[in-house]
Amino acid sequence: MPGRWILLLILLWLPLAVFADDNAYLNELVEQAREKNLAQRAEWLNLLHYKPYPYWPGMRSLADDPDFFNAPSGKTDAAAELEATLAGFFSTAEETDKAQNPQCRFIARYHWLKKELHFDPQRLREQPCKRFNQWRAALDPHQITLVFPAAYLNNPASMYGHTLLRIDGKNQDEHTRLLAYSISYAAGTNETSGLVFAVKGLFGGYPGLFAITPYYIKVREYSDIENRDVWEYQLTLTLEEIDRLLMHVWELGPIRFDYYFFDENCAYHLLSLLEVARPGLKLTDRFRWWAIPSDTVRAVAEQFGLVKRVVYRPATVTIIRRRLADMEDRQSGLAKGLVERKISASDDRLRKLPPREQARILELAYDYATYRSASGRDTTTPAQMHELLLARSRLEVPPQRPEVPVPVVRPDQGHKTSRLALGVGSRGGGRFEEINLRPTYHDLMDDDGGYTRGAQIEFFNMKWRHYRGEDGLRLEEFTPLNIVSLSPRDDFFTPVSWKINIGWTRKHFADNDEPLIFRASGGPGLAFNMPGTHEGKSVYYGYLEAALDAGKRFDRDYALGAGPVAGWLTDISDRWRVNLYARALRYGLGDAHNARELTLEQRYSLNRQSALHLGLHRKQEFQDYWNAAEISLQYYY
Amino acid sequence: MLNKKLAIVALMVAFPVGAMAAGENNTGTCGWGAKLFDGQRGIAPQVLAATTNGTSGNQTFGITTGTSGCTQDGVVKSNWKTAMFIDGNKTKLARDMSTGSGEALESLAKLIGIQDQHKAAFFQATKDNFSRIFASDNVTTDQVVASLKQVLASDSELAPYSKSI
Repeated sequence: MPGRWILLLILLWLPLAVFADDNAYLNELVEQAREKNLAQRAEWLNLLHYKPYPYWPGMRSLADDPDFFNAPSGKTDAAAELEATLAGFFSTAEETDKAQNPQCRFIARYHWLKKELHFDPQRLREQPCKRFNQWRAALDPHQITLVFPAAYLNNPASMYGHTLLRIDGKNQDEHTRLLAYSISYAAGTNETSGLVFAVKGLFGGYPGLFAITPYYIKVREYSDIENRDVWEYQLTLTLEEIDRLLMHVWELGPIRFDYYFFDENCAYHLLSLLEVARPGLKLTDRFRWWAIPSDTVRAVAEQFGLVKRVVYRPATVTIIRRRLADMEDRQSGLAKGLVERKISASDDRLRKLPPREQARILELAYDYATYRSASGRDTTTPAQMHELLLARSRLEVPPQRPEVPVPVVRPDQGHKTSRLALGVGSRGGGRFEEINLRPTYHDLMDDDGGYTRGAQIEFFNMKWRHYRGEDGLRLEEFTPLNIVSLSPRDDFFTPVSWKINIGWTRKHFADNDEPLIFRASGGPGLAFNMPGTHEGKSVYYGYLEAALDAGKRFDRDYALGAGPVAGWLTDISDRWRVNLYARALRYGLGDAHNARELTLEQRYSLNRQSALHLGLHRKQEFQDYWNAAEISLQYYY
Repeated sequence: MLNKKLAIVALMVAFPVGAMAAGENNTGTCGWGAKLFDGQRGIAPQVLAATTNGTSGNQTFGITTGTSGCTQDGVVKSNWKTAMFIDGNKTKLARDMSTGSGEALESLAKLIGIQDQHKAAFFQATKDNFSRIFASDNVTTDQVVASLKQVLASDSELAPYSKSI
């Protein structure tokens, strides 16, 4: 009997004894952590996503989710968070499908602290973390790849791009990458209005979340539907580093960050994952103000030894163009006829061709039909598309899919995205010096290497001039937004080009005064390849442009006009590009007047990061005509 | 933007894959097709989400969300891997099988566990039997799985693999 009582007493006291022991060990660990100053170590700060404030001293975590912190002050106090995290590790909570033990919930922190503080497994029991281990086993990680989808046709804004990470499994190779998983960070929203999304996104109005998705879903989005070429940068992360990355991704699973388009976007957050994976990597520091995805790819590529290999994955539309380039017009005409239902797959004109040619035509027709239905022009029914495949499957010839050559310049190798130009010029006899600062990103005259041809997007372009004999610099132009899409049309692709330009510029009034006025202009256009040329190397184009000028100097404060623009953009050599255009605007409403312009622009690249630019102009505004010329040295940085 | 919206509306109407998400899949208990684009009609919302770098709010692929349909913590459960892959790549598989080559077909072969020495035979079999596997333009994933099984079973070299689909 007494034995039983003793046993009961022991059982009652045991938990308290364990607590006492836990407390003692926790205090030891906290003491050690303080001695080693672990809370200020880069590894710890990276795990908490601590970054300096942009405007004042100090740091805080970018995570905006209380669940990410164990201490109430965890967002701003890395030491308190470390100690609260250690305390959490003593929890004996069992893992369930919806809840985790803190050791598993913060598994990257656990393993780092375990390594630094040499946890004693007798005094701090290690949890099995079955869910994490299953998840890791299912991913079977072997390699991490940074994926960058480039811009797509007729949409310069998409040049901004997007990045994701891909977890490549051990049994995959370049032919079976569809089986990999991707990790992406994106704003979680069901908002369908692009405008609302854009505005809210600028100010962090959406929760940003990490998600894991089969890579084939991403490929379908980017390559097949949006027709974006995809670049895959395979990284040299070791297995240990990959594990660190995955553990950290696991921690970030449910965590919300406020999503900001320009700085705290997908590209920025993926860089921070790489910093956790490989301590010592400094990738995010330079993106304090904004992070353009292609710049973040550049940051990764510039890290010595971080990129192992780069794979190019051409989009459906790129493959179609390649097929077309290899084919005679008569054959491609048949393919188009199939898609447009002018002929059927059993038509004699097709059937009497050699099987190999039939196969090429049918494959092109199917790709083209896919492209058309993805872009919303459904001339081909699913039944017809099925007919094309059926006919193709009956031909005993190997696949006719062409090898698409990898572009010579990769996205990370193109010109840098900020540009400074210093120039001199003359206008109506008056000499001037000029400074032009374009913070970002690419215009039609810049070298296209690594960019998408015919796509221009510029933000906050600024130009100042100093005229001889006058004092000070004068702001000549300030253009917050300038987008031009110049997309040549042909038999297979019929995009409508467009442009939009919003900003302030100088206007020449009748009394020779030149005040700064506001201008919004833009309109649709058509562009064509010069006969005998292809891929937009020589393009003639026309736009129909509308313009609203506003300012105090106008009668009734504004002038609204419209008129044509016609031009020719051509490459004379790899380095030398010329754009010749004429524009005539008739302002009919408000302060009625005419504005005309004839301009010859030339750019000669000295190397990838610098160029000479020459502009010659004949202009008219109101009654005055004048000539102007300027030459400048452009430097990309 | 307007252009994009038009394209999306048209896409919802036109794109055959779109039908896939509309709930026609009732294979098994996992409901994978519907889960892929939970609550969304067609892939159009996905397109929009991709162009604006937004996700469509569903957390099917959330990382630590526990069990949800055919995924466990965001990763497809192993018994659903092949079916879900076929479901998500049906049009691509049709294209690849028509030529007996391509990335989707290679990936499927890997999932089924086709050994290197049998790959060529597998590719050829899918091409030769294209009209059986994709009997019409609106076959369901179930039908593709079933007919692919039959095709493999009736091929002496590939018969053992018919059990791994």
